[in-house]
Amino acid sequence: MRSSSCILGLLVVALLCQGCAFIRGNYGEEIGQGDITTIQKGISTRADVAAVLGAPDRILEANGREIFHYYHYDVKSGSVFIFSRTNIKSDDIFVIFNGTGVVEEVVSGKRKGPLEFQFWPFDWPFH
Amino acid sequence: MMLRNLCICLILALAFVSLNGCSQGPVTWRRVTLNQTISTDDVIFIVPGKTDISAVVERLGAPNEILASHDEIVTRYYFTDGKYFKANYGWGFRFVIPFFAPDLDLGGGGIGRDVFQVTYDNHWLVRGHAFAFHSRSSEFLAWPFRD
Repeated sequence: MRSSSCILGLLVVALLCQGCAFIRGNYGEEIGQGDITTIQKGISTRADVAAVLGAPDRILEANGREIFHYYHYDVKSGSVFIFSRTNIKSDDIFVIFNGTGVVEEVVSGKRKGPLEFQFWPFDWPFH
Repeated sequence: MMLRNLCICLILALAFVSLNGCSQGPVTWRRVTLNQTISTDDVIFIVPGKTDISAVVERLGAPNEILASHDEIVTRYYFTDGKYFKANYGWGFRFVIPFFAPDLDLGGGGIGRDVFQVTYDNHWLVRGHAFAFHSRSSEFLAWPFRD
C-alpha cells in the first residue's frame, strides 16, 4: 500500500518534471565589493586599479576623463512545458580617472531586484 | 482496486512519456528580460542640481553605459523585455494522420529596450534625466501577417 503510493508519487513528480529545464550562466567575472573598497578616490592610480580589478573590459573617454569599464552578466532561465522565461541581470563597474590618471569617481552598485529562476512569461496574475 | 488504479496510472504515465516529443506542445510562450524595469516612482528622488552620482547609483545601481556629450556626462540604464509566441497549427494532424504531421508555425514577438538616461555636470551633479520607453514593441504576436 505504502510502496505503491510512493511509486505513484514518484511517477507524478517525474511527469511534472518532463519538459522542464533550468539553466544558469554568466559572462565575465563577478567583482566583489571588497575589491572595490580598496580603490581610493584621489589616491589610487590606473596601475592600482588594474592590480585590484584586472584589465578592464572596455576603456572609454569622456570629457577628458579616462574610464575603465568592467562588466558581468548573470543569466537564469527556466522552461516548464510550453512556458519559458530567461532573466538576465547586468552588473557594471566604472572607474573614472581625472586628467592626471588618478581615480576621480568609482561608479558601482547592484541593479535593483534579485535575479530569479522563473518560467511564467506573463505579467498576470502576479502583477 | 488499488492495483487497478496503479495500472491506470502506469498506462497514463507511459502514454505521456510516449508523447515526450510533443512536450513543446502546439503553443509556446517565451520571454527574455534584461534587468528589472526602472519606473518613474523609482527616480522621483532625483533633483537636478542637487542629487549627485553616488546617490543615484546607491538607489538604481551602476548604469550600463557612460557617454560623453559636449560639457556633460551621460549615463544610461538599459532594461529590455522580449516576448515571443509560436503556435503550430499543424500539430493536431499527428492524431488524425500519424505518418504525416506537417508543422505550420505561426507567431511572432518583439523586443522593447527601454532606457533611463541621467546627465551629469562636471561636478557629478545631476543636470537632467529622461526615459525612453519602447516597451510597446514587446508583445506576444499570434498572427504575423498584420500590418
